[in-house]
Amino acid sequence: MTNRPPAITQLRGTGDIGTLTLDWKPVSWATVVDHYAVYVAEPGSTTYTLLGKTVYPHYVHRGLGFTGVTRSYRVVTVDAAGNRSKESAPVAAANKTSVTVSGQPIARVGLYDGKGSELALSPKGYADYPARFPSDVDYTYGTSVPSADWSYLLPGPSDKWAGSKNHTVRFRFDLAAVPEQDLDLALWLIDSHASIPGAALLSVNGTEVGRLAFANGATKGSTIADSTYPGSPLKPSYVEKPLPKALFRTGQNVIELFKDNGSWIAYDAFGVYARR
Amino acid sequence: MPPPTRRTFLQLTGLSAASIAIGVSAPAGADATPARPVPSGAFALGVASGDPRTDGFVLWTRLAPTPLATDGHGGMGRDQVPVQYEVAEDSTFKRVVRRGLAIATPELAHAVHPEVRGLKPDREYFYRFRAGAEISPVGRTKTLPLTGSQFTFATASCQAWYHGYFSAHRDIARRSPDAVFFLGDYIYEYGIVAGDNLWREGVSVGTEHGVEIETLEQYRLRYSLFKTDPDLQAAHAAAPWFLVWDDHEVQNNYGADNSLYGIPPELFVHRRAVAYRAFYENVPVALDSLPHGPDGQLYRRYDVGSLARLHLLDTRQYRDPLPVDETDRVSEKRTIMGAQQEQWLYDGLRTSPAAWNVVAGGVVLTAITDDRTEQWDGYPANRRRVLEAMGQAGTAVMLTGDIHRHVASELKLDFADPGSRTVGVELVCSSVGSNGDGTDTDTYAQDWLQHPYVKLYNARRGYVHSTLTRSELTAEFVNFPYIQADANAEPRVIASFRTSVDDPHLEAL
Repeated sequence: MTNRPPAITQLRGTGDIGTLTLDWKPVSWATVVDHYAVYVAEPGSTTYTLLGKTVYPHYVHRGLGFTGVTRSYRVVTVDAAGNRSKESAPVAAANKTSVTVSGQPIARVGLYDGKGSELALSPKGYADYPARFPSDVDYTYGTSVPSADWSYLLPGPSDKWAGSKNHTVRFRFDLAAVPEQDLDLALWLIDSHASIPGAALLSVNGTEVGRLAFANGATKGSTIADSTYPGSPLKPSYVEKPLPKALFRTGQNVIELFKDNGSWIAYDAFGVYARR
Repeated sequence: MPPPTRRTFLQLTGLSAASIAIGVSAPAGADATPARPVPSGAFALGVASGDPRTDGFVLWTRLAPTPLATDGHGGMGRDQVPVQYEVAEDSTFKRVVRRGLAIATPELAHAVHPEVRGLKPDREYFYRFRAGAEISPVGRTKTLPLTGSQFTFATASCQAWYHGYFSAHRDIARRSPDAVFFLGDYIYEYGIVAGDNLWREGVSVGTEHGVEIETLEQYRLRYSLFKTDPDLQAAHAAAPWFLVWDDHEVQNNYGADNSLYGIPPELFVHRRAVAYRAFYENVPVALDSLPHGPDGQLYRRYDVGSLARLHLLDTRQYRDPLPVDETDRVSEKRTIMGAQQEQWLYDGLRTSPAAWNVVAGGVVLTAITDDRTEQWDGYPANRRRVLEAMGQAGTAVMLTGDIHRHVASELKLDFADPGSRTVGVELVCSSVGSNGDGTDTDTYAQDWLQHPYVKLYNARRGYVHSTLTRSELTAEFVNFPYIQADANAEPRVIASFRTSVDDPHLEAL
């Protein structure tokens, strides 16, 4: 006779780029939980494999790539005695498809490849930033050169090496016509500061679009350019944001990031995409 | 009808699984024979006693024939296993005074915490366990006195197993004091990685130890790893322990339900629940300290006759968050103890009949610098209230750890006023293991020694041995020249102080 602990309920999944976050209602404190075991089944498979264990009613499935895939998840409660619950009801959920996959590139700096090595000052030239970019980055697509004109880091006001002040990056590109649909910004980072990645104001042609809050990284991308090799300490993150079509015009457009909060972010790539 | 098996017997007695699961006792008449043989080496984690009273104590062991089994269950199956215990007046068990049975269950990782009562005060006892054919090592313990003329105790804390050997515990075991106070950081939650933080020479650990622990099985495994140390087992077997916890039993610098690492409180409480559970399972504390969900009752009080009253604090579970600014830091409302525990302490001090009040906590009470907000420097109003209450009771002896340094200081009623009354002394013990070999002094020394009320600072590993009598406290600070290479370093007494009960200050001997 085993006393099976109860299964969790209200399992739900929220997709993002590269990740799928699961949340559920934990069992009551009457059950002493050792951990929750999280299982996944790939599309077309009925076989669930163990993804990981967590003590929290929360689990992030990472490393899912940039094309949305719907997977099935379920959770087993393991109690302090090692007894296992029945499987929870499954939930099907998908990570998001990146606009770099679904969209048509208009203008880009850098390759969306998990590395920042093609950018200026990479991999660890941040101390030269004030001399190389005394007026910050002002980059014109088609004319400027990534390895010379786009700093691998965007510093913030918390960075003493960059003058402890706010910093701006401007990205200029031409449009032959006003777009028929909204465009998308794809700002990928190989890393960011671990505790104060901070935020930046985003504007298009002088109109504020919103504030981008950056995810905590590992504070390693200032000296290491590659997030893809096995064991790389970097913590990449992905910001993709719709840009209203009404803000664009024929001819030159400018997208501006104003880093007025926190420390640096380290670019993987920066670009604007049209929807297909 | 066949005779009932042990399981059906338990069902017939009508006792719920929960009442047996607590591992303190067994149903009357329960069979002491396990359903199947107990694996050999089941007592690999040793034996312990704790929370002594005038008539008894808590005994502890945990069946774990394979202590480092990754599921945290120590190589025990899902069976309930009856564990017999014997308490005798002599180490050869010719004069056995108590025998009993407790049921070890998988719910508590096969730990048992029998509570022995009805013994004589102020005397030595010996105990051992038996499970099936397996017999445990013998432990030595002691009841508290009814009156009390002398009380010896060791204080220890911060045993980062991976930073070195537990020479301090070896020496504590050799001295067999009346009691041992362990002041927190019994385990550390960090991943243990060779070439990084694994400084204990000549050992290696599997990758399962290389990640920060989070689940109950991981906390259990971490306790098992630390508790495989023979010197730690020897110190447990040599004397009853009084344990308090600090932060690393859960996570570095946590307070209440706040994680320093951005885990939201509604999630973090689940981590705290398994961490408190694993603590209970692995140390000799009484059933009162069995946690319920994320809450554990650990502050408690004992009387060493009228010689000393012992107040054991919990300065983690109820503390306010770190101050947001200076106004917040000095706010009268701030508390590191929580209102309920504060009132409990002040009542306990006010009504104390004892010559001495020994207060054991996780973090340093003495005022050092305003930015040491993890310790009582972050809670000055609570400290003032404590010092005022201490000033109205028997002479105070504060016992703390946490900083991996030996420090001796005088407790001023008002640390800002050098002329204010000294209400007692604080003995801060260095770490058993954390920070490795260490050096006699370091760059932090000046922060401490700038104060006239701080009389000692030393940054090597060690423990403190104290003797209380009706008239004075004598404290010996012991350290070791090294701990990383092996467990053979010789102890050195680096400082001794005498404190008079009537005029408490630190007189160097």
